[in-house]
Amino acid sequence: MSPWLALSPLLVVGIGSLTVMMVDAFSNKKDDLSILSSAILIAAAAIAGSLWFGGLPPQTPEILAPYLAVDAMSQFFNITICGGAALCAMLAGGYLREHDLERGDFYSMLMLCAFGAMVLSSATDLVSVFIGLETMSLGVYCLVAFRRGSARAIEGAIKYFLLGSFAAAILLFGSALLYGATGHTDLLGIGQTIRNGNAELGLALVAMSMLVVGLAFKVSAVPFHMWTPDAYEGAITPATAFMSVVVKAAAFAVMLRVLITCFGDPLSAGAASGWPPIIAVVAVVTMIYGNIAAIYQSNIKRMLAYSSIAHAGYILIGVVAAFRVQNTAVSAVLYYLMAYTVSNVLAFGSLIVMGTRGKEAVTFDDLAGAGKRHPMAALPFIIGMLSLMGFPPTAGFFGKYYVFNAALQADSGMHWLVIIAVIASAIGAFYYLRVIVYLFMKDPETGAPQAVAMKSGYVVTALVLSAYFVLEMGITPSNYLKMALAAAAGLV
Amino acid sequence: MVATYLPLLIMILVAVALALTLFLLAVVLGNKNMTPEKAMPYESGQSTGDARHIRLSLTFFLTAIVFTVFDIEAVFLFAWAAMFRELGWFGLMEMVAFMLILGVTLVYAFRKGAFEWEK
Amino acid sequence: MSIAAISFFFVCGAVAIASALITVTQNNPIRAAFSLLAHIIALAGLFIGLQGHFLAVIQLIIYAGVVVVLFIFTIMYIGPVPKPESAGRPSFAKLFSIAGMVVVTGAVTYAALGYSPALKGLNTCPEAVAECGQFGGVEAFSAALFRGGVVPFELISILLTVAVVGAIMVARGRLIYREKPRRKKQELSIENNR
Repeated sequence: MSPWLALSPLLVVGIGSLTVMMVDAFSNKKDDLSILSSAILIAAAAIAGSLWFGGLPPQTPEILAPYLAVDAMSQFFNITICGGAALCAMLAGGYLREHDLERGDFYSMLMLCAFGAMVLSSATDLVSVFIGLETMSLGVYCLVAFRRGSARAIEGAIKYFLLGSFAAAILLFGSALLYGATGHTDLLGIGQTIRNGNAELGLALVAMSMLVVGLAFKVSAVPFHMWTPDAYEGAITPATAFMSVVVKAAAFAVMLRVLITCFGDPLSAGAASGWPPIIAVVAVVTMIYGNIAAIYQSNIKRMLAYSSIAHAGYILIGVVAAFRVQNTAVSAVLYYLMAYTVSNVLAFGSLIVMGTRGKEAVTFDDLAGAGKRHPMAALPFIIGMLSLMGFPPTAGFFGKYYVFNAALQADSGMHWLVIIAVIASAIGAFYYLRVIVYLFMKDPETGAPQAVAMKSGYVVTALVLSAYFVLEMGITPSNYLKMALAAAAGLV
Repeated sequence: MVATYLPLLIMILVAVALALTLFLLAVVLGNKNMTPEKAMPYESGQSTGDARHIRLSLTFFLTAIVFTVFDIEAVFLFAWAAMFRELGWFGLMEMVAFMLILGVTLVYAFRKGAFEWEK
Repeated sequence: MSIAAISFFFVCGAVAIASALITVTQNNPIRAAFSLLAHIIALAGLFIGLQGHFLAVIQLIIYAGVVVVLFIFTIMYIGPVPKPESAGRPSFAKLFSIAGMVVVTGAVTYAALGYSPALKGLNTCPEAVAECGQFGGVEAFSAALFRGGVVPFELISILLTVAVVGAIMVARGRLIYREKPRRKKQELSIENNR
């Protein structure tokens, strides 16, 4: 297979983002950019899918070989990332026009970020990991700062930027140490050197913990989560949706690749030493903290930010389980990420649809009674919340189910992890249901601001698509699980 | 190594020596009648004030970032030019692709008015 | 190592340490930035001594040429900051940072002394490969980047694009608001909402 064909999803998004930039620079009609960018992203997702089902090359073309993988897992993430980004571009199409923030650079940046995320999720070398990570992160910092005149947006962006560059520096330092310890920058080479016992083991363990810190920051796991609520609140809602789905998916992809390919040897992936106990502790703290902090939020976006922290905790359980039952656990994580992508787009999309200019739904009080006034706009909100909560016929339920199942299969020592996770998700139900209670069972106080639903074809399309996938993944989960299993098999 | 960098070292030494000589010559030969105004730093004929309240335009920032990016590009060009013959057509194509992408960026920056000096 | 190379190393090393100390102890930020410049140039000299010619060039072009300029720009942008009242006795933060410096220096020295024989064994570049003979030179770097690293090289162009687009997005955003007063009002309405 020629390298061009193997790289085609990336090329489509890369050239597509340059095209969007040029259209933005030379045309005055900005609203068409939403259609253009989501069409390019969907095309890239479709190409990734046909590449996958049409048969992947047995080995990566030589010119790409150490840097980017062209395996089933990278195609899975290409589909998830491009699909999520396309939905966010549609949401932006409605949101930016409604709030009179229409600037074409949002779409160029969104696509460049998606490009970075795709590179990151298929990176198999520390060099491409870092380049992909920086491409994605720099773009996301700017997306947070998009509402330039708002002090909140700038505060969130600066916090995210400063902490994020610090985390990236730690990750880079870890990469350098890993190169020093093993003499390789490609993940496979590093893994083999460690397995053969040719590595400076102490140095490699230090490097591993630094890499874990850098990646835990990107997935907003608990000791490194401080930026999340502020950045999520400051960013415009479509950008928040993008951060919570695309950035998280790409970061988990690279976390799986680094931990399993580099540190899959019995010593660094042991139950007593190495990364599984570290990640298990991080997962517990993340779930408990995220869920409890979310209860105390009055701002819906901050609540969703803490909910995204909590979800990172559940996904981390799957990552831990991957040290024993690799295929089951990795496929569970992949399924979870896809389910989380559509559910979160649905949740943020409903938040967007519940607001017109000056009458946005910002806090729970704004939502009071909104379900009675706008039942059609409240419907996706209910589905989204139920899916995030993990209610049976939705994608979120099977995401949690597969991850917990993988953890139970992995090791008898992981039962307590699952018990904590179940308790944490029960706590989580409180604040998800609270949204529904406010929508239907509360009446707005007299004189209080009320959210008014908006009308936008773009947002409705995105909502219908994501609601369809949330239900479809909940009703016939086995198709998607099969896909995730096939993708997980690609990970060496 | 010493032979390679010897000319550079000599140049630096000559530059430092020349600057020192001129400075010392001015000190030795110059006329010294200091007034308070003369003792103040020279700033385009204006009296130097407190710079605390001067707010620089954000355009400075934009210029600085664009400068950084194209400076980094120059570093890659430098590495490529050093091996131009050995890398051949393949290297040329790589560089053309690289420059094309950054060319698009340059056009974008130009169209977005990044090089206009607005207040 | 010849006498010239050893004396070059010591001169550069002394300048690097002295200017680094000035950078962190100097109260005037402009002076600190300029001693940082001296530090960077001395570091470039050290890289030359280690045969890292390309790294030395990068050090001069990127760090001395751009990063210090950015620092100075930022210092001028913010303007002089009123000096904090210095306490009579060394503050806790100062003591803490000095202790941290000593610990880090000790750890690095220990690691360098203890590990240096082991690190030699990690030299994975066989001398027979032509590029390894002049490892760190401009030609070797260029060959490694343009023959082996095509993919990361092209990816970097997108990274640089993100930097430019992002800078324009952040810096021009306010200008766009200013051009259209209607948007300014809108911005306020979002802010006032909460």
